[in-house]
Amino acid sequence: MKTRWGVTAAAVLAGAVNGLFGGGGGMVLLPLLQRGGGLGDRRLFATSLAIIFPMCLVSGAVYLLQGGVSLRDAMPYLLGGLAGGAIGGLTFSRVPVTWLKAVFALFLLYGGVRYLL
Amino acid sequence: MKELLIPFLTGLGAGVLSAWGVGGGTILLLCMTLLLGVDQRQAQAVNLLFFLPAAGAGLLFHRKKGEIDGLLWRQTALAGTAAALAAAAAAQFLDVSLLRRPFGVYLLLAGLSMLRKLLKKTPPDRGKPPEK
Repeated sequence: MKTRWGVTAAAVLAGAVNGLFGGGGGMVLLPLLQRGGGLGDRRLFATSLAIIFPMCLVSGAVYLLQGGVSLRDAMPYLLGGLAGGAIGGLTFSRVPVTWLKAVFALFLLYGGVRYLL
Repeated sequence: MKELLIPFLTGLGAGVLSAWGVGGGTILLLCMTLLLGVDQRQAQAVNLLFFLPAAGAGLLFHRKKGEIDGLLWRQTALAGTAAALAAAAAAQFLDVSLLRRPFGVYLLLAGLSMLRKLLKKTPPDRGKPPEK
């Protein structure tokens, strides 16, 4: 994905996934951009975030305007997320995340099976 | 109270995991639909909104440190956002049950690629040349 159109196509795919499924664009975009190399991990992660952010902003606006969800329903999740983000940020360097990632990967597989059945 | 507390705690857990780099943007969505039985479209909306404050704060931080690649961003952000807009609009009109299968396939692929990456990081025998 080194070429100009390669990265653009990766972003279009990520945007489509993100809008259709309400998330997960980063999980598509990051590995695709990683393949091209060139950027270090930190820079790649930060840039991915900057690419995904406007995608989530416009998709979130569409979902909100369509009335599928009210801010009131979403609020407890959002407040919990803010608290969790702060806790996670403070404890970040002290956690071995490899096995957590493995657990999460298994959870994704479980979710995949549940959605397919 | 319970109907507020459980969403709060779910958001808290997903927030912690995301900050640790584990969640990957779908963890809240999956917890909502698989564990709490929230309607798919509503869960998708909350998942999108959930991402914004944390990511926005993170972005300010990254930008200050100059970690965002301007060229790559210009090559991708506009087209990606247009695709997201179109897909989000399509998701409003599509029958949600139609999305279940593709989403399931996506989850399987994402889970497998994550496991593969984790296994790659701990190569069992070092002397061997990498297989093609």
